Amino acid sequence: MKRVKVLIGNYGSGKSELALNFAMQAAARGDRTELIDLDMVNTYFRLTERGKMVEQKEIRLVSPNFACSGIETLSLPAEVASAFVMDWDTVIFDVGGDDVGSTALGRYHTDFMELEEGALEVLNVVNIRRPLSSTVEKIQRLQEGMQAHSRLKITGMINNSNLATMTGPDDLWDGYEVLKEVSKITGIPVAYTTGKQEFLDAFMARNPDMEYVGTLVPIDMYMHRDWDSYIAHGLNTVDPRKEIY
Amino acid sequence: MALTLMKGSEAIAEAAIRAGARFFFGYPITPQTEIPEYMAARMPEIGGCFLQAESEVAAINMVYGAAGTGARVVTSSSSPGVSLKQEGISYCAGAQVPCLIINVMRGGPGLGNIQASQGDYFQAVKGGGNGDYHLLTYAPASVQEAIDIMMFAFDKAEQYRIPVLFLADGIIAQMMEPVELPEMVDYKVDPEKKPWACTGWKAGDDPKKRGVINSIYIDTESLTVHNNELQACYKEVVENEQMWEEFNCEGAEYIITAFGTVARIAKSAITQLKEKGINVGLVRPITVWPFPYDAVKKVVDQPSVKAVLDVELNEGQMLQDVKLAVNGTKEVDFFGHCGSLMPSTDEIVNKILSMKEGK
Repeated sequence: MKRVKVLIGNYGSGKSELALNFAMQAAARGDRTELIDLDMVNTYFRLTERGKMVEQKEIRLVSPNFACSGIETLSLPAEVASAFVMDWDTVIFDVGGDDVGSTALGRYHTDFMELEEGALEVLNVVNIRRPLSSTVEKIQRLQEGMQAHSRLKITGMINNSNLATMTGPDDLWDGYEVLKEVSKITGIPVAYTTGKQEFLDAFMARNPDMEYVGTLVPIDMYMHRDWDSYIAHGLNTVDPRKEIY
Repeated sequence: MALTLMKGSEAIAEAAIRAGARFFFGYPITPQTEIPEYMAARMPEIGGCFLQAESEVAAINMVYGAAGTGARVVTSSSSPGVSLKQEGISYCAGAQVPCLIINVMRGGPGLGNIQASQGDYFQAVKGGGNGDYHLLTYAPASVQEAIDIMMFAFDKAEQYRIPVLFLADGIIAQMMEPVELPEMVDYKVDPEKKPWACTGWKAGDDPKKRGVINSIYIDTESLTVHNNELQACYKEVVENEQMWEEFNCEGAEYIITAFGTVARIAKSAITQLKEKGINVGLVRPITVWPFPYDAVKKVVDQPSVKAVLDVELNEGQMLQDVKLAVNGTKEVDFFGHCGSLMPSTDEIVNKILSMKEGK
């Protein structure tokens, strides 16, 4: 059966990183895989920038027209239809941030409805370290907006809580605590918990209730930039002048 | 306080609010539209004013007016939009109106592209609008640094009655980094501290207390006096406000100069070069006006330094200031890209290696 994963969520929740990871893992299993960059909002830091790497793994990548060429208004390519008509094992949609970004999905509403029962997963990627998805109320509000704009029901949440290069062992745990509450209120299950293996191990060592963990998926960092390690240090000093470091 | 993961644009906007900004006037343009977007949501929550102007020209003139009342006012745009603002910026400088202008630089000239650039260095520090004026210009290299600078930017603007320019490249506004946000500053206009501000005057009040915001001095004598005052102020800023970072400079064989995001890439290159046994330092101006000439000179004057490499995301603009600082005492080489293609760590490493081989 064709499996379709649609990743939606707050800006900066890690959708592109997860989309790449899901696609690479599917391709490694031998799946015929298609990865669709449906981010119509943000023209920076998008997965299309990793196009060469993806295509080397024989994953088919569909990007918005003119992506990365500096045109401000992107348009949906006709090739998105291949997700529905062609014979893939795994199709992954990486969608733009927030309700604004998920609007791009509305266009394919009927195509999604025609998928086999159980084939479609609509996943809300949550990073509780992002200011607009840091609380139960904010996540609920965002979920409602995204469902309305995309015309799709969210089938599961992904706990992808992280602080980029400063991620620590508490981030996934705090995300778990918040998503447990969201899940109790909305009935939407936590489908996946994702992170670097070391953080998943530290998380599991604290014995979470597995009902709110879902499948554990270790991820690699593909979107990393080598100068990320210099996230410096702001100016923490009383007198912000001269030789501050 | 807990760390949170914020996009540069969001962080810059939130920091401006926490520093006391209660008025935002602007017009959307990539790659900084998230700033007005964030302000539109946030200003009403704290009793502030967000207004999407009909153009950049209108926005900067709204800044001129609102800041003339002593309020903390901010506008943001990207390169082509900041070009449109130049007339208003010159007026703000001439009328000594403290305010904050954010330029998230994109590729140019003209409409250029929407990717990151540092091509507005000349515009920022060598003029932009008409007349003899300067803007106190900060070039942050991380999201946290942008926040930290924002927290004192208004204080500096008010201390010198000078517009402050935030010169960030597209990467700073678009990247996400873990940051710590400071507490909200409780700022209220104090007419005693800002006697120049137009806070209301009625018949019968002391005429001397009447605030007049103006940049026209029609006779030669008064314009001369006014300009001398401005120049005296700029001299003070040059003396007191230079900021820079030095990294691995002691005993270095080569010195890299770079600002903003490019300086971070240079740091990665310096670390790689160290592993190859080549000692390279970095001087990163944080204020690009005033430019830290003496700091650059002092580092470059070390006997160990053979040459200087300036790296920029443009065709060599800060290079001129670096050359002025070095003043011919050492070779100054340049590496950069235009068209928004970020210089890579490897490219910088290879450039230093080729300099070492005397190529």
